[in-house]
Amino acid sequence: MEGAFESAVARHQAKIYTFACYFLGDRAEAEDVTQEVLIRLWRNLAKLDAARMAAWLVRVTRNACYDRLRQKRATGRYLAPELDGEAAERVPSQDPDPEATATRGDLRRRLTAALTALDEPYRSVLILREVQGLSYQEISDALEVPLNTVRVHIHRGRQRLRQALHSEPREVTVHA
Amino acid sequence: MPEAIETMTCEAALAALEPYLDGELDRRERERLEAHLGACAGCAEERELALAIGRELRALPRLDCPAPVLARVRREVERERGARPWAGARPRPGEPGRRSRLRPMLAAAALLAALGAAFLARDLGGPAAAPPAASPQEVARATAEARFALEFVGRAGRRTGLDLRDDVLGRHLVAPVARTLRGALAPAASAVAAEDRKGT
Repeated sequence: MEGAFESAVARHQAKIYTFACYFLGDRAEAEDVTQEVLIRLWRNLAKLDAARMAAWLVRVTRNACYDRLRQKRATGRYLAPELDGEAAERVPSQDPDPEATATRGDLRRRLTAALTALDEPYRSVLILREVQGLSYQEISDALEVPLNTVRVHIHRGRQRLRQALHSEPREVTVHA
Repeated sequence: MPEAIETMTCEAALAALEPYLDGELDRRERERLEAHLGACAGCAEERELALAIGRELRALPRLDCPAPVLARVRREVERERGARPWAGARPRPGEPGRRSRLRPMLAAAALLAALGAAFLARDLGGPAAAPPAASPQEVARATAEARFALEFVGRAGRRTGLDLRDDVLGRHLVAPVARTLRGALAPAASAVAAEDRKGT
């Protein structure tokens, strides 16, 4: 049983943590959620069909994040600085132009902030679709909503991101 | 004669932008939108922003869970495995299932009753009847069963959040049982003692 659990952890820990980080915008909260979800995985491992484990984990992770979000709602917290900075630094720019690099880094920072501030269900579906590359069908299975609903939510989520980026003041960041 | 493309408002164009980027518009709608995007700088800029958003979202890094978090998970799993060896697994043949868990609990209760009776017999000092001799195999089996029963009660305690140990069991369960039995049988004990004094 331990071997099966370790194998599942190795396969899914990054997906769980990545989703939680971009959903909550807070590394400490994401760590707590990831720990909670993995322990629930252990407790339910024998009951889980291997073919449906990924969908189950998406659903459990999303619900755990949503519960945290409701608890945090009163604080109005958005993106934690370390996650914002890491998201901007992790992917090296292909563009040799430093100004383009700065612009792209600025866009990414504003985008991750806007993503974390999106309402549900748009936040979940965009993370699953755009960040984690799930298909519409996989999202439909995981969140147990009709396929067309997933499609509509993704489209509206992107629209809201565009609107959010229009309304946020742009910052100019100079990379030394 | 080529079919005239109906014009599209900016509102309709922006609403169709996402399905367009996902390749979900039919040919007619796609042509209408592309005609509008070619003529409207504002909507064209929106298309570029939408493309950039998609590009940047897909480029967001995958984040690995920090090692200390995974270590905490493993410690919790080990702790639960120690408390409940069947945790996370269906009972295999020979492992305690739901019904067979009653057997060790009953064995533990019988053990405690036997211990209480043993304390009582010692205190009453009744007629010394030599216990029947037990074979080494019977002694070994009784010891193993008693050990398992006490361990099971301990696990059950941990599962419920209590921390039971043998000395706790003795002090808080066996001794009170013995006192209760002693009190209930006190008149009989006095009669036995009086008989003994008459005989000496």
